Amino acid sequence: MRVSLPHMGNLYVPCRAVFEQLGVDYVIPPVNNQRTLSLGSRYSPEGLCIPFKMTLGNMIESAEMGANTLLVPGGYGICRLGYYTRVQEQILQNLGYDIEVIQLGVSDRKFLGILDIIKRISNDSPWRRILSAFRFGMAKLNTIDQIERTVQKIRPVELVQGTVNQIYTRAINAIDNADDYDTLKRVRADYYEQLNQVPINQQANPLIVGVTGEFYVLLEPFSSFDIERELGKLGVEVRRATFISGWTKFTFFLNPFGINEKSRIQKAARPYLKRDIGGDGWESVGEKVLHAKEYDGLVHLAPFTCMPEIIAENIMPSTKENIPVLTILCDEQIAKAGVLTRLEAFVDLLERKRRSRNNKQRVTV
Amino acid sequence: MKTYLGVDVGSVTTKLALLNESDELVSHVYLLTQGKPIEAVQQGLREIRRQLPEDVDIGGVATTGSARYLAGVIVGADLVKNEITTHAVAALHYYPDVQTIIEIGGQDSKLTVVRDGIVIDFAMNTVCAAGTGSFLDHQALRLDMSIQELSQRALTSRTPVRIAGRCTVFAESDMVHKQQMGHSVEDILYGLCQALVRNYLGNVCLGKEIAAPIVFQGGVAFNQAIIRAFREEIDIEVIVPPHHEVMGAIGAALLVHEDMAASKTASQFRGFDQSEVKYHTSSFECKACPNHCEVAEISQDGHALARWGGRCDMWERVPTTQLQLSEESK
Repeated sequence: MRVSLPHMGNLYVPCRAVFEQLGVDYVIPPVNNQRTLSLGSRYSPEGLCIPFKMTLGNMIESAEMGANTLLVPGGYGICRLGYYTRVQEQILQNLGYDIEVIQLGVSDRKFLGILDIIKRISNDSPWRRILSAFRFGMAKLNTIDQIERTVQKIRPVELVQGTVNQIYTRAINAIDNADDYDTLKRVRADYYEQLNQVPINQQANPLIVGVTGEFYVLLEPFSSFDIERELGKLGVEVRRATFISGWTKFTFFLNPFGINEKSRIQKAARPYLKRDIGGDGWESVGEKVLHAKEYDGLVHLAPFTCMPEIIAENIMPSTKENIPVLTILCDEQIAKAGVLTRLEAFVDLLERKRRSRNNKQRVTV
Repeated sequence: MKTYLGVDVGSVTTKLALLNESDELVSHVYLLTQGKPIEAVQQGLREIRRQLPEDVDIGGVATTGSARYLAGVIVGADLVKNEITTHAVAALHYYPDVQTIIEIGGQDSKLTVVRDGIVIDFAMNTVCAAGTGSFLDHQALRLDMSIQELSQRALTSRTPVRIAGRCTVFAESDMVHKQQMGHSVEDILYGLCQALVRNYLGNVCLGKEIAAPIVFQGGVAFNQAIIRAFREEIDIEVIVPPHHEVMGAIGAALLVHEDMAASKTASQFRGFDQSEVKYHTSSFECKACPNHCEVAEISQDGHALARWGGRCDMWERVPTTQLQLSEESK
């Protein structure tokens, strides 16, 4: 049995750690690139969303590398995402690959089901070892997220553009290569130090823009035009709604025990949307309501044809908590140039709005 | 005379506007891009110079439109600004109390919502070009008439037929169908204009509030039938500015004037002589990582002036210092 998994941002880093610790035979497909998307789109029904196409592309590339068992983290939810693994498995089999796709969704298998799968994949390792492998994986995830948060803060104010991005790429590689807690700790301290020493513009007072929307496009920069980097280039501090560690904890550990990290956001959305509509539509509305005072604007990412996010897009203009929202549809047919034009105009809008607000304050004082 | 130049290179047309120190329009040029943005900018520069007295001094130059980065390299722009912002700035300059700006160009259509002189929201057509100038252009071509004739004949319609405007392909087959049923060309043409307006309101506006005064700009504002269709559909008068087709270029010039006045630096304008220089554009696939980005390059006499298109900024940083590394990863 050779295991693999589709990409979603840096999710491969902790998964590799877990596989290594348990001695699982695994492959990691190439990072998302144009070929992944072309392969995925070629064999996908046209009307499906970009998460389906990208992950199918990853699966084909994994299969080419000899994988026969694919793990797909993620729940069954309410939207059609729940059927994706079944359809993908069918497509892969039609392409002639003898492959099994296992969805690690907790919502339908219950926790014990997940444990069964893990036991099977890990060649019947003792539970103590499995738990320690997962703990190490989570430690890597948390480190990645801490680095990412720092990157988001420093990127908009760096003096030489691109410095932070280079450090970030090196940091992810170093975390990926760390074999034990000590190395991981050292790597974290080292890259924190490097990031904090990047020369920055002390006078800058960057705009703060929240990025919210469907979790896959939020966590996989290739599918969403590298929106965080582009906003950073425009001098904007990004606050992303979901981080990969939060998402993982939510999907694997909290949900089955009935603990819902997102309840605060969902509560905020309730005056405008009373229930879960699948995907992250509920949370998107909630993000706007909850952070209207704190953020200058909100970028809402939605895969093209994503029903839940389209509902959210249409609810957002009517909320009382009013900040500008820019909805960006992510699809393989959409050119990045058009997205950048909109982003630039959006940042202009926010800047001019802030300038006029400051002017007014000065007049009243 | 100190002047400020705005260059707007769009998908279909290229516009240049020259403003004087008191922001009055001194001269402007409107010509077809015809898929050759560099030549269009050079020709535009030649025409502007022909219209001007000898003592003109360029105090600042800004580019906008979809080829703004390319045009910016050629003219030596002091400012490169997206077309959504420049259109809004120009509309606000002429109509300070404007609340809604409708802008329909060759390939895209935009709505900008303004309140108290500040842009608070905007929208732009996303995955479909139905409801833009090219849509009308194509239909005019198919019916073997000029775009001017399309507008005039549509205005004479008395009982317009309903055309499905969701998508250019559907619209075309619907138009053929109506034509084969025996409807008059005038009625079909006005029906098409109405479909374009409905499409704009449905796909671009998405329920955003359209309040008067409304300014309608962009090339499609030449079309009187579209203006009539807008008036009928939203029941509010739309204002078409006298130089609606060059508003993007005017906005760019206004912004660069403001910028140069604040920074008090000299313009980087490369001079009108640039219109004679030969530029070379090319593209290649970067092999430095698995992304295989397509990188575009513009060069003059074998020296790269600028590169863009990669996902990382490896190519965008000054090409001269990175040249060594660059040649290796080609």
